[in-house]
Amino acid sequence: MNLFRRNNFLQDRWAPHTGLPVRGTQTGRKHIFIATLIVCALFIVDAFSGGAVRSLARRAGSMVWQFSESIQKSIYESGFFSTRRVLIAQNLALTEQVAQLEGRSAAYRVLQDENANLREILKVAGISGRQNSTSGITAPIISSFRASPYGTVQIGAGKSDAVSPGNLVLSVENFVIGRVETVDEHTSLVKEIFAPSVSTDAVLHGIGVEVLGQGGGNAVADLPRQTSVGIGDPVISAALGSRAIGVVGNVSEDVGGSYKRVHIYLPVNLSILQFVYIVKN
Amino acid sequence: MRLTLAIAGLFAAIFAPPWLTILCMGLLAFRYPAWEVLFIGLLTDFLWMPGLFSQLPIFTLAALVLVWGLEPLRKEFLFH
Repeated sequence: MNLFRRNNFLQDRWAPHTGLPVRGTQTGRKHIFIATLIVCALFIVDAFSGGAVRSLARRAGSMVWQFSESIQKSIYESGFFSTRRVLIAQNLALTEQVAQLEGRSAAYRVLQDENANLREILKVAGISGRQNSTSGITAPIISSFRASPYGTVQIGAGKSDAVSPGNLVLSVENFVIGRVETVDEHTSLVKEIFAPSVSTDAVLHGIGVEVLGQGGGNAVADLPRQTSVGIGDPVISAALGSRAIGVVGNVSEDVGGSYKRVHIYLPVNLSILQFVYIVKN
Repeated sequence: MRLTLAIAGLFAAIFAPPWLTILCMGLLAFRYPAWEVLFIGLLTDFLWMPGLFSQLPIFTLAALVLVWGLEPLRKEFLFH
C-alpha cells in the first residue's frame, strides 16, 4: 500500500469509491519496460544500418521544421497580425543589418590582417591563391540553430551534392561556422566550430591558441598576459585553411594570473542565417 | 495533461532550446509512468547527435534515468 495514502488515511478515498481499478504501476512499468526494449532495439538497428534510423528521424524533423516555417510565413503574409508583423519585420531587418555590419567590420579586419601577412610572405615565396581555387556550394539551413544540445545544425545538401564529412561550412562573410559531420543523401549534419567542448587550434596576433567552444557562437582562449589583444581582433585558424573563425569580444584577466582570458564570438547572427557555403577543407 | 506534455516535448526536440525538452521530459516522468519520455530523448539524440557513439546520447540516458529513477518516487507518492 502507498505509504502516503496510508499515513494520511486516504486509502479508501480514491479508487475504491470510483469502482475503477486503481492506476497501477504494473501496467505503467510494463509499458516503460517495452519502450526501453524498443529504444535499445532502435539503437542497435541504427548502428547496424549505418545510421538509417537517424537519417529517417532527421528527414522527418526537417520536414516538420520546413512545414512550420511555411505556416509561419503564410500567417505573417496574410496580414492577420499586421501591426505585430511590421514590428517583428522591422526588428528582424535591424538585427540583420547590425549583424551584417558587425560581420563586415570583422571581415574587413580579417582582410587587413591577411593582407599584412601576405605582404610579408610575398617577400619570401610566391604563393598561389589557394582559397580562390576551392569550389563549393550554397546550401539552405533546414533546422533550428538553438534546438540542438550538441551544437549541430542540419543543412539541405548531402551526398547527392558531393558534400562529404570534414567539409567546411562558411558564412557569407567567409567566417567558418562549422564542419560537416554526418552526410545523408540530401541533408547533412554540421557541427559548429564553437559547439560546447569543441577545441580548435587558432592564431591570435601571431600566437597559437587553443580555442574552446562554449556554444551559441561563443568561445574562450587563454593567452599569455603580456600579449596585447584588442576587442574586434580576428581569430584565424590555420587548420581550417587560414580562415577566420571569430573575433575578440572581450578580454579579462586576474590580477595575479599569468594568462588573460579572451572571449571570442562569431560575428554572424546564427538565428537569422538562411544559407551557408560549403567548401572542401 | 500527459498528452499535452508529450506533444510539447516532441515539438521542443525539433524547435526549442534543449532545456525546454528536458523540462517536458522531467515533468512527464515526475508525474506519470511515461514511456513517451524515452522516445522524446531518443528523437532528440537521433536528430542532433553527430555520430552514433561519437558522443554520449545524453538525452536517451537522461530519459532512462528519469523514467526508471523516478519510479520509486511515483510508486510511493502517486500510484499503488
